Amino acid sequence: MIKIRSTKVIGLLLVMVMLLSLVAGCGGGDSKTTTVEEIKIGNIIPLSGSAAPLGKIGQEARDMAVEEINAAGGIKSMGGAQIKMLYADSKGDPATGVSEAERLITLEEVALLTGTYQSGVAMPSTEVAERYGIPFVVPVPSEDAITERGFKNVFRLAEKTSWRNRDQVTFIKEMAEKFNTPVKTVALIYENTAWGQGAVRAWEKYIPEAGLEIVLKEPYPSNSSDLTPVVLKAKNLNPDIIMMVSYVSDAALLTNTFAEHKVMPKAYIGTSGGFADPAYFELTGDNCEYYFDIATWEPDVNRPFSADVNKAFKEKYGYSMNAEAVKAYTAMYVIADALERAGSTDPEALRKALSETNITEGPSQMYASEVVFDETGQMVNAPLVISQMRKVDGKMERVSVWPEEEARPGMEIVWPYPGVGK
Amino acid sequence: MDAVKTKKISLIVLFLVIGFIIPQFVTKPYYLHVITMCLLWAYLASSWNLFCGFAGQLSLGHGVFTAVGAYVAVMLFNDYNISPWIGMFAGAGAAVLLSILIGYPTFKLRGAYYALATVAIGSGVVVLIENTQALGPFRVGGAEGLIVKLMGNAPAFFQFMSKQPYYYIALVMLIIVVLFAFWLKNSRLGYYLSALKEDPEAAEALGINVRNAKLVAAAYSAFFTAIGGVYYAMLIRYLEPNAIAGPMMSNEMVFLAVVGGSGTVLGPVVGGITLHAISEVIQFYFGDLAQGLHLFIYGLIVVFMIMFKPQGIIEILQKYYNRFLGITDRGEDEKSVKRTAGS
Amino acid sequence: MDSLSVIVNGISMGAIYGLIALGLTLIFGIMKIINFAHGALLMLSMMCSYWTWKYTGINPYLLIIMIAPVMFVIGYSTERFFIKPVLDAQKDVREPIAVLLLTAAFAIVLENLSLMLFGADYVMAKTTVTDATIAFGGVTLSAARFYALIIALVISGGFYLFLQYTELGRKLRSCGQDRNTASLMGIDVPKTFAIAFGIGTALLAVAAITLLPFYYVHPTVGNVFMTKAFIVVVLGGLGSVPGALLGGIIIGLIESIGAQYMTATLTTVIVYAIFLLILFIKPSGLFGSRLEW
Repeated sequence: MIKIRSTKVIGLLLVMVMLLSLVAGCGGGDSKTTTVEEIKIGNIIPLSGSAAPLGKIGQEARDMAVEEINAAGGIKSMGGAQIKMLYADSKGDPATGVSEAERLITLEEVALLTGTYQSGVAMPSTEVAERYGIPFVVPVPSEDAITERGFKNVFRLAEKTSWRNRDQVTFIKEMAEKFNTPVKTVALIYENTAWGQGAVRAWEKYIPEAGLEIVLKEPYPSNSSDLTPVVLKAKNLNPDIIMMVSYVSDAALLTNTFAEHKVMPKAYIGTSGGFADPAYFELTGDNCEYYFDIATWEPDVNRPFSADVNKAFKEKYGYSMNAEAVKAYTAMYVIADALERAGSTDPEALRKALSETNITEGPSQMYASEVVFDETGQMVNAPLVISQMRKVDGKMERVSVWPEEEARPGMEIVWPYPGVGK
Repeated sequence: MDAVKTKKISLIVLFLVIGFIIPQFVTKPYYLHVITMCLLWAYLASSWNLFCGFAGQLSLGHGVFTAVGAYVAVMLFNDYNISPWIGMFAGAGAAVLLSILIGYPTFKLRGAYYALATVAIGSGVVVLIENTQALGPFRVGGAEGLIVKLMGNAPAFFQFMSKQPYYYIALVMLIIVVLFAFWLKNSRLGYYLSALKEDPEAAEALGINVRNAKLVAAAYSAFFTAIGGVYYAMLIRYLEPNAIAGPMMSNEMVFLAVVGGSGTVLGPVVGGITLHAISEVIQFYFGDLAQGLHLFIYGLIVVFMIMFKPQGIIEILQKYYNRFLGITDRGEDEKSVKRTAGS
Repeated sequence: MDSLSVIVNGISMGAIYGLIALGLTLIFGIMKIINFAHGALLMLSMMCSYWTWKYTGINPYLLIIMIAPVMFVIGYSTERFFIKPVLDAQKDVREPIAVLLLTAAFAIVLENLSLMLFGADYVMAKTTVTDATIAFGGVTLSAARFYALIIALVISGGFYLFLQYTELGRKLRSCGQDRNTASLMGIDVPKTFAIAFGIGTALLAVAAITLLPFYYVHPTVGNVFMTKAFIVVVLGGLGSVPGALLGGIIIGLIESIGAQYMTATLTTVIVYAIFLLILFIKPSGLFGSRLEW
């Protein structure tokens, strides 16, 4: 009898807690801040699930930028208003992204939204913002379609996926000529989500255009337990170039397995993402030496502010930034700039200010010499840089090698791939 | 007895009135969106329950049906401009066909085996969708998913600018599925299902065609689930294979139905609404506190609910319901709950 | 030469699948429960092993002696405090789906708990074993995979003998065959269940350690292996130890060979299809049935 009663009580308590929290949840939203001293910016990022580490570094980069902006006197045209970040977890799930966008817009009444890591979350949540007429700054997702839907309120700081693939192919052609190593065949190995499939479409356009032949098109599930079969398949075909689109776990598995089976193409080229993840070095050790990767930013890239900001970040959080973090960081400065010029949090004024963005100085220099959006909201000249994983003073580092004017001085490109530990 | 009846009817009327006037009080679109999602999950859990709850079959692959419904309707709409109001029935029809296709080989599998088969089917279908760019003249979009063509405010095409219509549609859908569940439970098929849930061999011996009973119930369930999928597609306006067909979708339906009380008419509704509301509230308060905290709490709540209230939340409500009606349940044990819940 | 590499790889990976499935087939066979927390428990074992290795630097393979008992205690208590109450409450229900959902919810709890405790970073135990390879007859295999194969064979063999010839093994098997009769024979069925769950979890620790030198650790890593483990268990036959190992190797071979003729993603569909086919045609699995126990 006592047992039954205790379970009854627990059940009752649970229900009470549920109802109470529901009521509290409804009540909490009404306490909206009408003071101008605070500008709320909503940010949707994955804080749980497999992309959680990327969400975390994005959050840290934004926090740092916002602290700097606020410390420097906030938004001066609005009486030194401080920016306040509101973070929401998308779990990497489109429906959660939508519901969080709804919440941030209608409940928290944020001035503007930013964030999302996965293109799959960016697509529907930007649509919510568009419907409410709230500007949405997208720093990271690269799927081409995001800015190709005729939306007025979406501004993308990132490059399009296809631009990366275009530059990779240009790079291959240039290297083949420079080092006089004829390159004919390319193997494409990519994770089988929206990102990989989008990249392949771009590759299929640019690679034949450059007179190269695709000999292998191999999608694999990103949570594969074993990628050896894929590696063996590539080894069999012996392609000149192996290009990959991977998240960090599978990038590491591929790299280690390629080393294990001593596959020797002329070059391995990654497409950011997993290859640019700070964990990649720890997971692969020396196996990734001489791999190439394309990204929008590198710690050693020869741009103003780059070294200083990264140093500050490293001191604050203990590790280096990555390209995604830089974009998130820059995005906050772009937003602050737009707020400054708009002089209010009125969405239309803010949208107009964003569309007229033309920044040619300040910390956003670490990302691009000029930040300008075209009429679709796409950042016009998202710069790309190719780096090579190299051992410098006994430690693996990403060394910017291309384009030459942004390359690290004194480092020569190693081409063709010499093999692990050579 | 008359007093009981009056009380019953007044309760139903009360809930209906509350349901229909909620948008008058909840004007913030976000809250209305959350409540709408609660209704949708209640609806999906109820649809799952039509077969899986009543017949005691644990399907962990119902996401297949939401996906088929959603994809068929959206493809018809995107490529042939057929309104999703019509397309949803095409989608539901396709889901019914698929349920029969799946049902024939799986119906004899029991318990764990059936559950695992549905897991495999669900996972397989996700991979297949992810690798299909086009199906004849229809664009499927592979892993990149499908964007639903935007029409602005177009009621004839299931698209609205305001949240209210979505709310009312979800409410009506939920009422329909509950009425249907009520009818099914008290129909001959319903008795067959509860008989074969208790003991399939005995049911077979009594002359029940177990296979047909299961196939028909599964078809009903697939039909309603698919309509839910179409609704989801039109609400989110973007289809991603893993989100609409993947384990998140499939498992959520099951969690909600079981925590609410599977095999009862109202259990999944209660589960869908309360559990989803809880998960939203947790996300609201803990979403940015620590990575994974809100899901951790959510998981714990489910664990404790299953441990302490295995018959579901409905079991608690049943007691108060009986007391309200003036039925003393002192002599009755927990089993009465199963018989009378929701009736 | 290359086809040999493909086959060797399939066998070595398959043996690991078998090793992971071993604990699952035991729990499945004895308690008739599908343990959806199996993947999460594997993840937990990997996390514990990784962090112990990180702070002590002990050779990962020696960690088995430390981690396996810890996991046994975790598994035993999980059964005792979480699963047993639900199992008791559902005694007269034919298909205890509540238990299954309990384990699924438990998996969510474990995954997010370790996300909070250990963080979301991908890590790997880079040891001397990691980058070493073994070459024979033109076939290269990483040392870690080779050791994993050997450990899988030894553990499966040892475990088989344990079940066949020890008192506890016989007790476990009798509970699997007929818990009521076993109970009449004076066997403490609930205790045996808890032990079975504990052993099943401890076996995961062994699997975790063989994975550690060459596979990443992350809160979601369990999902990578869990569905595969289920497939292996059904393929090999419910509760059959040799079946788990052989089933694992078959899946490993299908994946490895299949991927040479089609894309790796399609191969996963083939694996599911074969699994379904087995379910429909011979639900007792390829190797023996529960009657063998």
